[in-house]
Amino acid sequence: MADKKNYGMVIDTRVCVGCSACVYACKSENGVPEGYCRDWVVQETKGRFPKLSMENRSERCQHCENAPCVTYCPTRASHYDDNGTVQINRSRCTGCKACLAACPYDARYVHPQGFADKCSLCKHRLDEGLDTACVSVCPTKSLNLVDFNDPENKAERLMNGKEVYRQKDHAGTNPSLYWISARNKPGE
Amino acid sequence: MTETTTEIISTKMNPNVLPHLHIWEWHIPLYLFLGGLAGGLLIITAIMIVIKRHFGVGPRDEGEGCPCLAVRIGSLLAPVLLGVGMLFLFLDLANKFYVWAFYTTVQPTSPMSAGSWILIAFFPMAVLQAMLVNKKFLRDRNIGVVNKLIDWTEDHLTLVALLNAHIGIGIGIYTGILLSFFYARPLWSSSILGMLFLVSGISSAAALMLLFAPDNEKPIYSKIDVNALWIEMVVLGLFVLGGITGPSNNSGAMMHLIGGDYQMAGMSYMLWFWGIFVALGLVLPMLLEFLEAVGVHIRFPLVAPVLVLIGGLVLRFLIVFAGQTYHTFM
Repeated sequence: MADKKNYGMVIDTRVCVGCSACVYACKSENGVPEGYCRDWVVQETKGRFPKLSMENRSERCQHCENAPCVTYCPTRASHYDDNGTVQINRSRCTGCKACLAACPYDARYVHPQGFADKCSLCKHRLDEGLDTACVSVCPTKSLNLVDFNDPENKAERLMNGKEVYRQKDHAGTNPSLYWISARNKPGE
Repeated sequence: MTETTTEIISTKMNPNVLPHLHIWEWHIPLYLFLGGLAGGLLIITAIMIVIKRHFGVGPRDEGEGCPCLAVRIGSLLAPVLLGVGMLFLFLDLANKFYVWAFYTTVQPTSPMSAGSWILIAFFPMAVLQAMLVNKKFLRDRNIGVVNKLIDWTEDHLTLVALLNAHIGIGIGIYTGILLSFFYARPLWSSSILGMLFLVSGISSAAALMLLFAPDNEKPIYSKIDVNALWIEMVVLGLFVLGGITGPSNNSGAMMHLIGGDYQMAGMSYMLWFWGIFVALGLVLPMLLEFLEAVGVHIRFPLVAPVLVLIGGLVLRFLIVFAGQTYHTFM
């Protein structure tokens, strides 16, 4: 248990400036084909003029603990990795697209080479003890890689006392990505 | 309470996901239609065989152990139509070289996995039935292996037919639950979709058999068709009402289908659904066949079955397309 990782992310929308560095870092790190993306930036503006509030956030596969893509995959191509992420085995993927239809976050796409593709949380970097590409370039430390099994509990430290949400929690997917809401006061 | 608005700008641009899901085009609805039709044919022919052998009810046999003409043609068409359907299914796969991966595992929570195994069970059993009901013609050909196979199994036609009735129901339901397990797509997320596609497959199959059955065999398929259409209307009503009365995801999706102005081939979903599917594909043929059954002379008796087949095809296209063009589960 102690050795086993359970990776996720804590994304602080208070400091995200929507620069898209995470998107381009991912594209170059993972060779994402032109016209596609594994992560993306959303700018949500709410309210009524002039009282408007805005939240920038970087989004990607939620690496659900109860992932509909894995449930529905007919060939075990989509599977849970030991490190708590959801991965795709390209040499078992038939391109049936069931996972695209199953994902409530629309996080997947069909790679031009035929297999389903999405954020892997840079598994190849995690295996070497590195941060993900997006986390490593984030200029405002909005993106944070966390290990929920880590005894130091960085996730808890980041989120403690703040308004935090997960996306479409009511879908029952138990996602591994947490957002610190922009409604929180800035700073620590 | 002042009105607030939300504006969302996203840099996501994946082509088959945005502006709405666009992963399945014409292949899949056509496959679902042909699969339903093949399942329906297998169910009807199998039941016709069983009730004739067991209760002596149904059109006169061809003789020499072969059932009537429509059952023989229907039994032949079932595996052929499913084969054509599976070709479309294969064409839809984006990674065709890995199609073998379906058959290296059983994934109980994936309807697509269950379906790919049912399809495998379907072929040998449906082909066996097609051979047995046409055995006197096959015997004339005198092919060694075929003769042996017929020798082994010809005393068990009823058993083969009973098994096939179940496999046919499995295929019919599978074409619906293939979609209905995706809760992320609110229109499809209805457990009655499996029943709707099953009954629609049976009514389409009865209509097809009505087209090629000789005149003395037609009345029974007309009766099966009119009853299947009636049940289909009830199930459709439940599907629509279940959607409308559901939570906002589902009711919105159902309104997108039955009242939406989103277009398919230049016509709104609403017109396709009520005008083509319900009015022309269900109500009108049911009325025509009912009138014919009570003795009214219908000038063009083949209009009704053709309309039923068109209705069944339109239903598959509508459900597959409208399910994709409505927004993802919120």
